[in-house]
Amino acid sequence: MVRKVVVGRFVENLELYGRLSEADRAAAAALPMAVRRFEPGDDIAVEGDAPSQCRLLITGLAFRHKTLRDGRRQIMSFHVPGDICDIEGLLLSMDHSVSALTRAEVGFVAHTAMEALLDSHPAISRALWRTELVEAAVAREWMVGMGRRTAYARIAHLFCEMYARLGAIGMVQGNRCRFPITQTHLSDSLGLSVVHTNRVLQELRKDGLLSFRGGELIVHDWPGLQAAGEFEPGYLHLRAKSA
Amino acid sequence: MNLILQPVMVDTGEEGEGCLVFAEGWLVAVLVRLSETHEDAAGFWFLEKGFGRLDRPDPPIFSDLPQAEQWIKEHLEIRRPPRWPGDRGEV
Amino acid sequence: MPANASPEHQRLIAKLESIGTLTREERLAIAALPLRPKQVPENSDIVRDGDAPSESCLLVEGFLCRYKMLPDGGRQILAIHTPGDIPDLQSLQLKVMDHSLGTLTPCRVAFVAHKDLHEITLRYPGITALFWRDTLIDAAIFREWLTGVGRRTAHQRIAHLICEIHVRLKVVGLADNGGFNLPITQAELADSLGLSTVHVNRVLQDLRRDGLIESRGKYLAVNDWRALEAAGGFDPRYLHVL
Repeated sequence: MVRKVVVGRFVENLELYGRLSEADRAAAAALPMAVRRFEPGDDIAVEGDAPSQCRLLITGLAFRHKTLRDGRRQIMSFHVPGDICDIEGLLLSMDHSVSALTRAEVGFVAHTAMEALLDSHPAISRALWRTELVEAAVAREWMVGMGRRTAYARIAHLFCEMYARLGAIGMVQGNRCRFPITQTHLSDSLGLSVVHTNRVLQELRKDGLLSFRGGELIVHDWPGLQAAGEFEPGYLHLRAKSA
Repeated sequence: MNLILQPVMVDTGEEGEGCLVFAEGWLVAVLVRLSETHEDAAGFWFLEKGFGRLDRPDPPIFSDLPQAEQWIKEHLEIRRPPRWPGDRGEV
Repeated sequence: MPANASPEHQRLIAKLESIGTLTREERLAIAALPLRPKQVPENSDIVRDGDAPSESCLLVEGFLCRYKMLPDGGRQILAIHTPGDIPDLQSLQLKVMDHSLGTLTPCRVAFVAHKDLHEITLRYPGITALFWRDTLIDAAIFREWLTGVGRRTAHQRIAHLICEIHVRLKVVGLADNGGFNLPITQAELADSLGLSTVHVNRVLQDLRRDGLIESRGKYLAVNDWRALEAAGGFDPRYLHVL
């Protein structure tokens, strides 16, 4: 039962980016997978590793990051259930780390098994390539944010993005979702100081755009939040899921 | 609104001449005069640091101090800080 | 290298072989890819944000950049591309471009139709893997840029970028240990690094004064690679150069 859920997420995620046949879905369902649990902050993949397995996020949220020699950290993206958080490990060594943001369950799939699947199912291969290209598009938005947006717009944009991504996989109820990110995570994602982040969060609350407490995000004014973040969801290439 | 410009030496590594800009007793910006090494912009004034409403990712360069003061006044008159480029804030 | 391979094909083959291996058959297949060469002047767009192109562009000579324009008229440069790169390979899979591709210098490019790329990737999974590896390396470079804009000082960002471009140009034979041609303006550097031109200017002055670099026209001579790498915290691993 757990297995079906696990692979179901993976396949659903892929199907956001490409059409899969019954045969494709069945083959993905047959992937041998070992599941491990991680606590918030645990390393899921480490910079420098040459992994022999893919890590598929089953439940919980994860993030990619790099830490500089002086200890400053840059968070580069967040992963939601269904994502393979280290797909580049198939072809490259890890030049960054992946950690759990929340408690997470991760499915480990041997590279040999994944490669065999991709070789024999080009539709899956293409969908995976597309997922990776969309991740690149997301990264570009982040870059634009850090290079040229005000702190206020950056934070608003990030919340919009996560709200949209979680919504696409059914993890938003009404206007709320769980996104237990700390101010440190936020500032590390957006090139801000924690002080600055704190100030902006207060402003966003005061402006009635969102509430953010205890790891729960409530979006009070979705159009307003999008305008504040200059957010246009096209770059996420999300197929509209039936509401 | 009256701005008070207080000359000061600013250690940015090369230029020295600068001024602190006060509005109604509040420090709102630090302007710095660009040296020869900035070629076309040599002698121009740069918003080295803006506070509050003047804190923006792409700080402007002004051909002279009156221009800088004009810009600063305009941007202070906005009641709410601009949040994104093109946002006029509440005037 | 197959005999009679055009300079454009040679560029592409050399690039792919810098990130992986091609079998003889694959090399011949690449050499047979229809490529349409074109000369493009500097500061012109090859593809625009919002376009849905039917071909991808191989950079043969010159420097290209990917960029996005912002509502306030500002520009964020997202990547600088060196000869051998196919910056818009993604348009093969994602129909609509979410950024623009423009020349920083006069460029020689070669266009390859998506239908030809689809065909060759269907027939040769090894070539697909190399293209995929290329987009993955692109992503790795981008993550490094993101880290730079987010967490490095102006000084570190510029030192790091100079080191990166050096390695990338060396890989395609366009740089030696002395330095390389960098025909990029300070404004373009500023837009790439999320800095103001004032900061870029200051840092370059500092690097010159400290004896790490020397500018001779468009040629950037580097006198002390160790020091420059240390200044930027540069570790070339993310470039995944073989």
